[in-house]
Amino acid sequence: MSEGTRSASPGPVWTPRLLAALVARSKVIVCCGAGGVGKTTTAASLGLAAARLGRRVLVLTIDPSRRLAETLGVSRNPKAPVPLPAERQRAAGILAPGSLDAWMLDAKLVADESVRRFAGDEERARQILANRIYQQATTMVASLHEYTAMKALHGFITEGLYDLIVLDTPPSRNALDFLDAPKRLAGFLDGKMLNMFLPSKAGLINRAASGLINRILSGVFGREFTLELASFLESFSSLFVSLSADLQHVRERLAQDDVAFLLVTSPSEAAITEAHFFHERVLQLGLPFRGFILNRSHADPGNKVFPDASLLSADASPELASALEKLKDLARGESLQVLRDRGLLADLALRAGKDGFALAFPELPQGANDMTTLTQIAEIALAERRRGPR
Amino acid sequence: MKDLIQKRVVLITGKGGVGRSSISAALAHVAQRAGKRVLLTELGDGGSDYSALARLFGVNQLPSSIAEIAPGILGSQLLPERGVELFLSSVIRVPALVKIALSFEPLRRLSLATPSLRELGIFFHLLVCLRAERSPDVPEHELIIIDMPATGHTLALTGLPEVLLRLITRGPIADAMREGQSYLNNPAKAGAYVVTLPETLPISEALELLAGLEKTAVPLGGVVVNRMPSDDFSAEERVELERFMKTQPVFGAGAFFRIEEARRAMERLEAATKLPTVRVAESDQMGAALIQEIADTLEAQCVPARAAQAGAGR
Repeated sequence: MSEGTRSASPGPVWTPRLLAALVARSKVIVCCGAGGVGKTTTAASLGLAAARLGRRVLVLTIDPSRRLAETLGVSRNPKAPVPLPAERQRAAGILAPGSLDAWMLDAKLVADESVRRFAGDEERARQILANRIYQQATTMVASLHEYTAMKALHGFITEGLYDLIVLDTPPSRNALDFLDAPKRLAGFLDGKMLNMFLPSKAGLINRAASGLINRILSGVFGREFTLELASFLESFSSLFVSLSADLQHVRERLAQDDVAFLLVTSPSEAAITEAHFFHERVLQLGLPFRGFILNRSHADPGNKVFPDASLLSADASPELASALEKLKDLARGESLQVLRDRGLLADLALRAGKDGFALAFPELPQGANDMTTLTQIAEIALAERRRGPR
Repeated sequence: MKDLIQKRVVLITGKGGVGRSSISAALAHVAQRAGKRVLLTELGDGGSDYSALARLFGVNQLPSSIAEIAPGILGSQLLPERGVELFLSSVIRVPALVKIALSFEPLRRLSLATPSLRELGIFFHLLVCLRAERSPDVPEHELIIIDMPATGHTLALTGLPEVLLRLITRGPIADAMREGQSYLNNPAKAGAYVVTLPETLPISEALELLAGLEKTAVPLGGVVVNRMPSDDFSAEERVELERFMKTQPVFGAGAFFRIEEARRAMERLEAATKLPTVRVAESDQMGAALIQEIADTLEAQCVPARAAQAGAGR
């Protein structure tokens, strides 16, 4: 990789022009990336930036840190999106009609809600919700997050209450699984597999096959559980069909032009490799990749200087002199980091291609409250627009 | 944490970005150096998922069935499909019937699409690896390391036997769950270890994770604090330097304040848990060299002297 030559001409790398435009115009922004890179903070900041432009924004998050969840007001798993408290909105420069809502996705809640909607009557809904397999499946939320993220997104897109929805993808290596969810569900549905378990709906051959399946299942799970499994599948066949159609719809919606997939990374080796991987996946899936965000970057050193005895006044204490000497080691590391992060940014810009961008968000001082951090990052995202003629 | 490598199965968990995979990989090297037959695993689904762990061994994915990934280290993904297959074979015992069952698309798909059945398959795959014997009472895989993200998957898997035994009380699944409990709920044989960083947020998240794990029956083994910065400043130097930096922004300030943060974070961690903690020093190394360096640290803290010698004697 020709990092050296590239970093000499940063070009569009340093301008947030493209991001500001995305924040102003996109209908959906999806933030992907490895765990621990500050993805949720980035998602919330972009949402805040858009709200400052007068847009009605929803940030859909999955696993925020407790502190960020508290900042956004979603720490207690609310049933519906909650607006950021009015005084915080004002302090963050959000003015009507702009607004910022946040919601922490609760897989069980979304699933229960879907059941209620599809069951038709209360009695049938109660029946499904009481099914022990359903309860276990929804309590053990592992892969359910992917289904429900898509489901919830679908709901919000159809409702049209928001100008922009910012989606924070699930953490972990399965971050893009939610895009495969329709395929997996479809796999579950085609081949008339449900009919296999539901003899009443099946033809003669299927009934025979179903008998064999049931014998095998009864041998493995025990008869009682197999019956319950069959009832679970029966209750769910219609739900699955409708869910699958919704998911397919979102999948198609996400491929459209007013959607932006952003890859968030930190400068760490592991996070960068993972960002490259996700970038390829997003392209493979035919989704609209827009750019990289290098979070916690040291690419911009500000007004820092190298610690040196020459900075000291004549009456400086010996402790300060020795401390400054010790600081040199740490300083060398940090100034190398500036160069390294610039190289990384240049490389990301190269990968992003001429239509994409790579933008650095600086490492902000720890301990600052989250609202300050969000506002600062939002300002960087909007920097060019703020300076511009508008 | 001296008993870590004497266990049969260790779960390495922690939020993204804390270096969990590096710690898991380093532990595999530690076990190998101590002469253990070690199997390094992570949860997979046979797809093209990104694997930070596999990349530490120069491959994109851990193998889907057990194979050597480094000298003396075996690796494998734990796969739901494979688990279901192995389980059916152990229950049905008639290979032809197993084949019929498995070639049945509906059954195969059911096991992939239903959330809890995925965990069930993974659980069986793990159980089969635990059961495997070289000769009577001599396990084929003396130590199984699972690199596990701190997501629903971890708690789903660790809590699986208890959950399923409430649903299914008899039959082969119930038997398998009880057998799994005999390993996973036994502090001599299993332990969950939480990896974290000496920073404010990661420590909060580690404490939340510990609280979650405490609700399952898997014994907690300890906490590994990764990327611990070294602290060379005296108290006086610190005070002087902090005052100086208020007026003069200098390089190194970020790293300096991280030392402070690490100290406070460690105080918080140690006040909140009695579990043993291991600190792994921050390093400039990358890739394989970093893993070996972490392994050196862990070896000093996670291997009893006797086992280390036995390994050296090989």
